[in-house]
Amino acid sequence: MTEHIVRSYDADLEGIRRSLAEMGGMSERMLGDSTVALVRRDTTLAQKVISADQRLDNLQRDVEEKAVLTIARRQPLANDLRELISAIRIAADIERVGDLAKNIAKRAVAISGQFQPPHRAVVGLEHISRLVQAQLKDVLDAYAAGNEQKAMDVWRRDDEIDALYTSLFRELLTYMMEDPRNITFCTHLLFCAKNVERIGDHTTNIAETIHYLVTGETLDSRPKVDTTNILVDVAPGK
Amino acid sequence: MLSTLELSPQSLDTDAPIRIAVKNLDFYYGEHRALKSINLDFRDRHVTALIGPSGCGKSTLLRIFNRIYSLYPEQKATGEILLDGRNVISNDVDVNELRSRIGMVFQKPTPFPMSIYDNVAFGIRLYEKPPKSELDDRVEGALRRSALWDEVKDKLKSSGMGLSGGQQQRLCIARTIAQKPEVILFDEPTSALDPISTGKIEDLLEQLKSDFTIVIVTHNMQQAARISQYTAFMYLGEVIEFDATNNIFMNPSKKQTQDYVTGRFG
Repeated sequence: MTEHIVRSYDADLEGIRRSLAEMGGMSERMLGDSTVALVRRDTTLAQKVISADQRLDNLQRDVEEKAVLTIARRQPLANDLRELISAIRIAADIERVGDLAKNIAKRAVAISGQFQPPHRAVVGLEHISRLVQAQLKDVLDAYAAGNEQKAMDVWRRDDEIDALYTSLFRELLTYMMEDPRNITFCTHLLFCAKNVERIGDHTTNIAETIHYLVTGETLDSRPKVDTTNILVDVAPGK
Repeated sequence: MLSTLELSPQSLDTDAPIRIAVKNLDFYYGEHRALKSINLDFRDRHVTALIGPSGCGKSTLLRIFNRIYSLYPEQKATGEILLDGRNVISNDVDVNELRSRIGMVFQKPTPFPMSIYDNVAFGIRLYEKPPKSELDDRVEGALRRSALWDEVKDKLKSSGMGLSGGQQQRLCIARTIAQKPEVILFDEPTSALDPISTGKIEDLLEQLKSDFTIVIVTHNMQQAARISQYTAFMYLGEVIEFDATNNIFMNPSKKQTQDYVTGRFG
């Protein structure tokens, strides 16, 4: 992109991009670490994730303030305006990703003393988390590169995440029915799985924002294959 | 999509008739070709903004509409500017009659050295001889429409030169609309005014567009974005992009337009 005639304008935008990149990196790390903490029952790592969230919140406020200030001071138009609006939106999505990862870390701490079901129970969660981490990485790369095509690939792949979540949901229900002692642990896992799935939704939000940023148009439909709402109705005990 | 957002005053009626149609217009200052094959449609009762860097030809275009250029023998226009189907640049057009139909407001306020009342009455008296009571009514009406009445009603006999810059500009607008033109051309009407006066003029433009077709040249991009429904971006004597204002400022289709509105070139 060509430079602005007023060079400090470019510095403003660059500062916002840098903070967002830092936020993105942090959120990826938090999701990865919280999953490892859960699988290995590593409470020290979980605590690290929990305390990292504050920094992410601060960065989000920072991005928002800078963006609002830039709008007020420079009255941006066209792609500049879209970039600032997008930065505010993406920062909010990443901040939510951090919150959800922090919640997984908290659950990792909570279940550390609980009855342990067979290890295979966490394998599914590990798998879905790995997929979502890849989604998150791809969408952040797409943002950094302004690559709308790559963002749309992420957007389309959310179907897989949703489908996987649905099957994980069934699997965890099965463990709970097999042995009631699994219920506490598996309920926590279920929430963790839901958190991961929600992080997946935030990556599609970011992908939609990238689409808007690059093309100036908003997407009007979104992929959705999560059928657990229907499943809950037929689940035993309901 | 953005273009369909119902945001006042950007809401536009794409079925509005075309009041002025510019077709293959070229303009020459002596040998210099300042405008190159301009094609533009100006819709009735809409505000169309002309933007572009200095020297791009936007003021030149504005000055052709009411034939100001005819004052200078070395300047020449070819092509067509159709006002209700008649070519205003053809030689058989009565320039005085044309200027009563297409009024103009300039960058620097140009009140005449006479009373406020006479300033407004001047344009009316030029073409008509209405009785005193009707003249009074029309002067008051024009001053009210230009949001100046309350500030000057007690001093109609004092000189128009004694008003502030913003008031003088509104006086010029009153003088223009008193003639009941169809089209009003504004050539950077607020660039010499403070922000409050600018706000008043912009508010006024918003009111005026229900009765007049307005063409405005402005260097202030945000102003064009605020007050116009259509925007033409010009560069080096050509129209680079002409579209609904929302599109020009949110999602222009040409890179040059984008670079200009975002302050990267121009």
